[in-house]
Amino acid sequence: MVVGTLSRACDVAVLGGGPGGYAAAIRLGQSGKDVVLIEERATLGGVCLNEGCIPNKALGHAADLVADTKAAGPMGLSFGTPSVDMVRLVKWKDGVVQRLTKGVQFLAEKANVEVVHGHAVFAGPRVLRVETGAGMGEITFKHAVIATGSSPVELPGLPFDGKRIIGPREALSPGELHGRVAVIGGGYIGLGLASTYAKLGSKVSVVESTASLLWYLDPEVGDTLKRRMEKLGVSFMLSNRAEAFDDGTGFLTVVDASGNRSQAPADVIIVAAGRQANTGGIGLDAAGVATDARGFITVNERLETSAAGVHAIGDVTGGPLLAHKAYREAKVVAGVIMGEPMALDNVVIPGIVFTDPEVAWVGMSEKDARDAGMDVLTGTFPLRASGGALALNAPEGFVKTVADAATKRILGVFAVGRGVTELISKAGLAIEMGALLDDVTAVMEPHPTMSEALLESAEAALGTAIHVVQG
Amino acid sequence: MATVFRFPDVGEGIHEGRVVEWLVRVGDQVRRDQALVKVETDKAVVELPSPEPGPIGRLHAETGQTIHVGDPLVTIGDAGEQPSGEPAPTDGRPEAKAIPPDRAAGHTPAPHRVLRAPATPHTRVLARRLGVDIEAVQGTGPGGRITDDDVQAAHSAAAAPAPQPVALPRLEPSPRPPSALEERVPMTHLRKVIAQAMQTSSQTAAAVTHVDEADVTELYAWYKELKPQVEQSGVRFTILPFFLKAATVALKTHPLLNASIDEERGEIVYKRFYHIGIAVDTPEGLIVPVIREADTKSVVAIAGEINDVAARARERKLNLDEIRGGTFTITNMGPLGGVFATPIIHQPEVAILGMHAIKDRPVVVDGEIVIRKMMYLSVTFDHRIIDGAEAGRFMNDMVALVSNPKLLMARI
Repeated sequence: MVVGTLSRACDVAVLGGGPGGYAAAIRLGQSGKDVVLIEERATLGGVCLNEGCIPNKALGHAADLVADTKAAGPMGLSFGTPSVDMVRLVKWKDGVVQRLTKGVQFLAEKANVEVVHGHAVFAGPRVLRVETGAGMGEITFKHAVIATGSSPVELPGLPFDGKRIIGPREALSPGELHGRVAVIGGGYIGLGLASTYAKLGSKVSVVESTASLLWYLDPEVGDTLKRRMEKLGVSFMLSNRAEAFDDGTGFLTVVDASGNRSQAPADVIIVAAGRQANTGGIGLDAAGVATDARGFITVNERLETSAAGVHAIGDVTGGPLLAHKAYREAKVVAGVIMGEPMALDNVVIPGIVFTDPEVAWVGMSEKDARDAGMDVLTGTFPLRASGGALALNAPEGFVKTVADAATKRILGVFAVGRGVTELISKAGLAIEMGALLDDVTAVMEPHPTMSEALLESAEAALGTAIHVVQG
Repeated sequence: MATVFRFPDVGEGIHEGRVVEWLVRVGDQVRRDQALVKVETDKAVVELPSPEPGPIGRLHAETGQTIHVGDPLVTIGDAGEQPSGEPAPTDGRPEAKAIPPDRAAGHTPAPHRVLRAPATPHTRVLARRLGVDIEAVQGTGPGGRITDDDVQAAHSAAAAPAPQPVALPRLEPSPRPPSALEERVPMTHLRKVIAQAMQTSSQTAAAVTHVDEADVTELYAWYKELKPQVEQSGVRFTILPFFLKAATVALKTHPLLNASIDEERGEIVYKRFYHIGIAVDTPEGLIVPVIREADTKSVVAIAGEINDVAARARERKLNLDEIRGGTFTITNMGPLGGVFATPIIHQPEVAILGMHAIKDRPVVVDGEIVIRKMMYLSVTFDHRIIDGAEAGRFMNDMVALVSNPKLLMARI
């Protein structure tokens, strides 16, 4: 990019190099567009690669190893007491991250995407002002894609200090293994971190304002997850709100629904109580881009904002804040910019939580479907009846399929258990294809695997499951 | 603060149009870029997007009315400037921790996207491409699933002529008493444009038609053999793309037929690009979408493009750019029967190729009477710059190419 008073003209300017931004930039670059990708960090990959999904999965895997060795006694295996060298673990995790971010950088270069590290602000409907380490520059564009992502919400009374009150980023690069950890927020981020820390050896408590975990899913999901996490030593303070933390005494104050206060000791507070759109300070007004009441950019199904030629994808547009949503939207927006008749036509967005056991779902819950006035069929297959799950020493969990009674069309699948985050992709494909229960039950599933549970749950919905007693 | 949106200059040379359909009513809240009205111009129907969000205060033109560039169309605003409703682009689950339990219990989600019409992602893409609203399609697959065929059928149904009411509304008031013996119907804008273009052509060009016949037995066999394979990709395959390809080959050898005349400067303009127009019969009249750079495209690619533009021509959804800039035109009259016809040149081009019905006819080959697939080809050319001999040589070349597909392959 030219720095100073000169400006660089391009076809497409992409703001943000996370999963949405880099994927859109690469796809557009592959298609021959002149693309400039502006990223504030020193590396591409956004929150997902640098301080979110990937670090979370890497640490989670290490924690699984610890927990598995501890649980291997009945198999006749003993490993002694596992010791966790947090500095080396974080270094290993950083190595994984570095490989991926370098890979993305390489792919962007190969697609002829110009990557500019700096902060971009709209100065008008077709121009960005970009501040880099080297100075100021200007980029004029025909199309812009805003993919600036989201960041953790700070709670009043619990301002981040980077040491004892931290967000998910710091929680995924701890300098040491914390003794007592309080996680504020029982959503997908908080529960994942709670699981990981508990298995690595911390004493974890979770403060959650709602009365049950993941309340918007099938109630059986939250119940199963809570039972298993309690076995791992996690304690829950449900229907409670975190109010303040006293750095001196090390006590966290929580308030329940009736206003009663109680205190819990904690060495570190991890705040994972929601995320907000990164829409401030990027000149949306100058571009004419409208946001909703919560600050997320309003887009239509072609991911167009209120400003002609300006698109937005990923977390910054709200909805589920998930990398795979951003990846899909990136491809759609690239198609739209290439002039193709594309739109975000997906009917489902898979949801996943990397807890122990994993939680995964796609589509409508039984309650969603009944609330929509439908007659539903449901079938649940408990993993304790699965040969695949028992052989993995992972009998906790179930797979539940929800279908429309009239057409037998599959509406949703909810799963808890080891490896279900892989299994759910098949359910997602089935629903996107408009599959009926028979479409799933008439397929051979490899044996013994967790995937058989999906087939069995669909059969249970039809009342024909082999491996559960049909009532 | 109200804004009056005026009929904008939608494209080069367009100065008037006719309001076909209003897509909004007074009082509606519109979003920026939401389509307000369909206006028929030249040979395309364009949807005009709203320049800003706000309530519709007033519609200034009635359906059927002719409007000129700069005429007021619609007033936006006035009614208190309520912000437009938030669209719900995704089925986002609310953040659990942000919502207290009491509110959570009363949470009523928007209709789930799973409840959309059941169709595979592939079929959804097809519907988008054909401009079919998949939610309005009746599925015939298992469990009501919408198949590719259902989408194609909905697309064809939309393209078919709407039943014509016996008495068309909006007749011009006639000074004479209504008569059962005649009926007066205003010419559509498209009809006026066609009339003007045909009149100009017949007054401008010194048109002569040359006719020859071709034995397309072998090409027809190739086409029949390829058809099922090509159609597996969802493209309807006809013999037309071969002729389009053959024409680009013949035009390269006979560039005069791909030229135009600059009368003012007294120059012949040779074009080194081959944008071939295809005459498409639509319920409302003739439209000629253009296949750009046909010489660089494969027969299959051209077939796909013809499918697409012909479909959109029938729906009047072509962009102006897609019906302009041709260098040569082909009109396929075969399906309509007849022996041959003398097509009119599409100005400012200087020649047009007519394809006529392929019929089994007895012909003499090596002294014996055999049955062959025969067809007439006609070329109407502008004798101002093309002499009969050159047109004849062009036709000989065309006949050779379509009679012997190996030669065609060799010269592509």
